[in-house]
Amino acid sequence: MSLLPSDQRERKNLAVALAFLAPNLIGFLCFTAGPVLLSLYMSFTNWNLKPAVKLEWIGLRNYVDLLSDPYFWFYLYNTFYFMLGIPFTVAGSLLLANLLVGRMLVGTFKGRATYAGLIVIVGLITCGMLFAGGSKDAALLLAVLYGAGAAGLLWGSMTYRTLLYVPSFASGVATIILWTQVYNPYHGLANNLIQWFYDVCGVEGSLPMWLISTKSLLGFLPLPDMFHSGFGLGAREAIMIMGIWMGIGGNNMILYIAAISNIPNDLFEAAEIDGAGSFGKFIHVTLPQVAPTTFFITIMAVIGGLQGGFNFAKIMTNGGPAGTTTTLAYYIYTAGFEELRFGYASSVAWVMFVFIFGLTLVNWKYGNRRINFE
Amino acid sequence: METSQKTWRHSPGWRFTVMTAKFFSVTLLSGAMFLPFIWMVCTAFKSSGEVESPHFWPHIAKPENFGIVLRMVKEQFSGKFLDVFLWKWIFNSLFVASWVTTLQVLTSSLAAYAFSRIRWPGRDKCFLVYLATMMIPGMVLTIPQYQIMVELELVNTYRGLIVPAAFSAFGTFMLRQFMLSIPSSYDEAAEIDGANHLQIYLDVILPLAKPGIVTLAIFTFLGNYRQLLWPLIMIKDARLRTVPIGMLTFQGQYGSDTELLMAATMICIVPLIVLFIFLQKRLVRGIHLGGGVKE
Repeated sequence: MSLLPSDQRERKNLAVALAFLAPNLIGFLCFTAGPVLLSLYMSFTNWNLKPAVKLEWIGLRNYVDLLSDPYFWFYLYNTFYFMLGIPFTVAGSLLLANLLVGRMLVGTFKGRATYAGLIVIVGLITCGMLFAGGSKDAALLLAVLYGAGAAGLLWGSMTYRTLLYVPSFASGVATIILWTQVYNPYHGLANNLIQWFYDVCGVEGSLPMWLISTKSLLGFLPLPDMFHSGFGLGAREAIMIMGIWMGIGGNNMILYIAAISNIPNDLFEAAEIDGAGSFGKFIHVTLPQVAPTTFFITIMAVIGGLQGGFNFAKIMTNGGPAGTTTTLAYYIYTAGFEELRFGYASSVAWVMFVFIFGLTLVNWKYGNRRINFE
Repeated sequence: METSQKTWRHSPGWRFTVMTAKFFSVTLLSGAMFLPFIWMVCTAFKSSGEVESPHFWPHIAKPENFGIVLRMVKEQFSGKFLDVFLWKWIFNSLFVASWVTTLQVLTSSLAAYAFSRIRWPGRDKCFLVYLATMMIPGMVLTIPQYQIMVELELVNTYRGLIVPAAFSAFGTFMLRQFMLSIPSSYDEAAEIDGANHLQIYLDVILPLAKPGIVTLAIFTFLGNYRQLLWPLIMIKDARLRTVPIGMLTFQGQYGSDTELLMAATMICIVPLIVLFIFLQKRLVRGIHLGGGVKE
């Protein structure tokens, strides 16, 4: 385009580029690059907001203290324990995506509308009778199912994708507070359901105490005293179940749906000719074809998992009972913003960074080796 | 045997059975996923005496719960208005999230333009530094960022919530990938017509990058609306609370009044559900990894 030699042209462009970059670059330097350096420096000091403490360079002492602190290891263990929920979430998302990838539309719109209308009428009659007969809860729950069924028949998989996406979309403080009440051991939904299940089966069983219990499913492991808290469902499982509920129908499911619908159809046809059923097709075609998506999701989930647990701990448990739901992220918050030991908290943050970096590197190497079919 | 199985698998009867099973299982599953929400709505209408009963359906509906949490009705026992300002909190959240979204889209798209459409020495190295910082956990940054906000005297202000979130390496990365997929013939043509970079950015690239910008805007808005840690640190004043912080204090004060808590929770989830209904198609139809203009 221009008659200037390319080198000169590029240099001229630098000024223009800087003008475009300026708003972002200033923010980047002030709120990302600057803080990174500042926090690295802070982690080698005894920075404390209490006025009596004088700022001093203390070298590696924060890191030495940290690594010899049993609580640090306990909170690290908790963080990894929560991450055991990740495979369930990812697998669940993949299975849901596999179910919902087609449009699930049968026949013409008119035909579907007729049947959906029929379902609504039958639903109104049955639920109305149940309601009048006094079983109001059954009527309510059945009405929801009839509604979902009718909408599903009418609009196909879009209905279910939407319904399953809502928990993840609405997730936030409000939803977590909702779950705190769901886990109320005396009148929460979770124990009501378990009690109802016991009643149906005619057995007497104990109810889990959820958020106020230190038990865990790995409680039987021969670990040091602090880690050992008895086998059963406790606060950690409660948070994991909630995490799966929030994650399973969320962005991961959408990413998998996109990935599965991009698989060329002739691969499925070839597998069918070779005699593969729907399970065989899933194992031999879908699974390897979505491997890049799985890789991406796993990396993001591991990075998020190591930094995670702050919201749950802050809203549901304050890190308790007995520190069982304190993760590294919540530990940084309490050490920094509650105890005001900013230097120490920064060193925890940097150890966390080392773990994230290391795990991402491992993921990267292992994942790239596995995905080489392209 | 094998041939008969094969034909059965291709018969309409088999397809019908599979389809029905699919419909039943996903309907049940969606119903189960909605159970907590149904329970929330039912509990929000209960009286405090009835909260402990395991029934869903309240025997005597008490819609005053909503009036109480919205400060329209006085609380029964204390005879006072509750210390909650739900409308104000929702306004604060929407206000902050809208500003953050606008500013972030602006700064990110400008930077993405510089990283994708202009050639300048050191461009790709500079971009790599941006990318690398995305790996640093937010917790590392939070403490020094707070110190900086203290120095700038922005603690406990709207600006303190908006300014640090107005710049994003992620947004820059996402829009850069998107802009790279726009054929360079468009801006070359504009350049021949005598357009400068600002004109190319405004009239050529921004309109073409609209899908990417919308996606970034949705992500940013939602992420900011939900944010807990940063407002928790920054905001001390009850009137400046965003929804997450407001709900947290409400839970701390009235946590034992399950029915009020659920009524307030329901009101806070409603704006998200409304937003979801508007965005549903864009979100559920598919998010493209890395973004790109689909041919």
